[in-house]
Amino acid sequence: MYFLGIDIGSSSSKVVIIDENKNILARKARNLGTGTNGPEMVIAEALEEAGITEDQIVYTVATGYGRVTHTKADKQITEISCHGKGVAHLIPGARTIIDIGGQDAKVIKLTAQGNVDNFVMNEKCAAGTGRFLEVMARILNCSLDELSDLSMQSTEEVEISNTCTVFAESEVISQLAQGTAREDVAKGADNSITSRVAGLARRIGISPIVVMSGGVAMNESVVRSMEKHIGYDITVAPHPQTVGALGAALFALESFNKK
Amino acid sequence: MADIKTLIAEFEQVAADPAKSVAALKKETGKKLIGMFPYHLPEEIVYAAGMLPVGMWGGQVEIKLADKYLQSFCCSLIKANFEMGMDGTYKILDGVIMAAYCDTLKCICEDWKVAVTGMPMMAMYYPQNRKIAAAVPYMENEFKLVQEQLEKIAGKAVTEADLEAAWEVYEAYRAECRKFVKLVGKMPKTLNATARHYVLKAGWFMDKKVYTEKLAALNAAIEAAPAEEFKGAKVIVEGIMVEPVALLDAFVENDVCIVGDDLSHQSRMFRVEGRKEGTVYEKMAYRIVDAYADPLLLDEFKEHGKELINMVKEYGADGVVVCAMKFCDPEEYDYPIFKEELEAAGIPVLYMEIEQKMDSVEQYKTRIQAFAETLA
Repeated sequence: MYFLGIDIGSSSSKVVIIDENKNILARKARNLGTGTNGPEMVIAEALEEAGITEDQIVYTVATGYGRVTHTKADKQITEISCHGKGVAHLIPGARTIIDIGGQDAKVIKLTAQGNVDNFVMNEKCAAGTGRFLEVMARILNCSLDELSDLSMQSTEEVEISNTCTVFAESEVISQLAQGTAREDVAKGADNSITSRVAGLARRIGISPIVVMSGGVAMNESVVRSMEKHIGYDITVAPHPQTVGALGAALFALESFNKK
Repeated sequence: MADIKTLIAEFEQVAADPAKSVAALKKETGKKLIGMFPYHLPEEIVYAAGMLPVGMWGGQVEIKLADKYLQSFCCSLIKANFEMGMDGTYKILDGVIMAAYCDTLKCICEDWKVAVTGMPMMAMYYPQNRKIAAAVPYMENEFKLVQEQLEKIAGKAVTEADLEAAWEVYEAYRAECRKFVKLVGKMPKTLNATARHYVLKAGWFMDKKVYTEKLAALNAAIEAAPAEEFKGAKVIVEGIMVEPVALLDAFVENDVCIVGDDLSHQSRMFRVEGRKEGTVYEKMAYRIVDAYADPLLLDEFKEHGKELINMVKEYGADGVVVCAMKFCDPEEYDYPIFKEELEAAGIPVLYMEIEQKMDSVEQYKTRIQAFAETLA
């Protein structure tokens, strides 16, 4: 018996397939989110990696922004609960999760038992989310990976005072026009996003172990900047982009067993 | 015995389209209509003058004209009211009463006179120090000033007997509303978040006497019906109001029942029972004096959190959902204080900053669903 968790985000789709002993058979991600054929593609890839067929999946849980549109799911659960579940499974003892996705940022507080105790989300704008970094990468004419490398080479911090992504874009363009180094601008972008999310985290309180999940956790410079802002070491969840999908797969197993 | 679902549908019909309902009200009764801005206004005087008060609680309108007077940091409710005044939506009204409860309301009394022509605007002021002895005679005087202006619109004098009769209508209305909110928990499925909202909202657009009779029929039907089994979460909502309806639907979709409210649009307006002694104006003034835990009225002892904790216990709620109207200063000042108190009491709190017009409620749906998952 196999269980599938799918996390359909605003900019990517992620799938994890597990067996009844919680062994991970496949873990796949595609940078195509809700409203695209990304979910179907990533499911097909994950099934191929697991070496199984769709009819061998006995229970599916969908999560993420596009969870309600995935009609093949037996159940849909929010990404907040799924990230909590996934992190608690991967890193026992984790108490705070910082999850920065493509379109939103969440801070989740876990109980000692690994259940979601409380959470906060960013408001509806793109400030403090992966979208902000995407915009910055475009202005700096680099990929998201290169943006992290650039930031690590910064020698002088530049403040990006506008938290609004649209205003920050204009601000960064004028910084570049004044001759500010790209590396320093990249570092400024990290600080802008992490200071905002750190503020969110302080609203519910931060306790160690602090874990980062979500796609932005793959950006090392953002993680280091976040540590500076919250004053705690951060453990990056293994394969951070697929933590929500893993949580969904674990919920699928639990829900099947409860049937 | 009246059918519960039929009665709810009748309330929904009134509440879902206020413009249509208010037009019908004017046509059917032939009475003049006086718009009541939020919050705590002397509706009894309007009723005593033979006119009907109707609620002005904004709507999901695109702000185009009101930006001329109100900055982007003004709350969306008052902005929507202003927009609807300027675009002619409220032209059916024969007058408007507003009081300066917050910084935005303070500013717009004069703006309204300039921007919205062809309708008398009656501004009144409540005392900040509402608990001191001078507050009651001061409020009586304010009521008299409003009465004089209303008499001109009505074309008739208001007698003490008129006021007594109106006071009785309103006390009966408030008592029936209090009864209804306590009954919701008995039928969490039928009286779900959206149905509960429609039932209470309809009261703002009906003759209070007619509304009270209908609500009494609904209450009697609920009392006679068996209690519904419910496995979902029960919450108290806090804030100015909870709209758009899509937001309320998210509660329903996730099996979250609003068993009690601490909203200006609902319970804060009727939860205080009037005193039995004194003139009508004294009793009206004492309703302001006796009001509690209301962010719009100075509360030097900061009892908002205590009241919410009491409500959670009284209604058997699992948590509190704060629907903070964006840029509502009075609400925002209270929140950090009661949040700490609720957390210390071990009560889960979901905070959502809302606006009247929200093009997408998807993120709010996620929050409500996640909160429900946490409570489960």
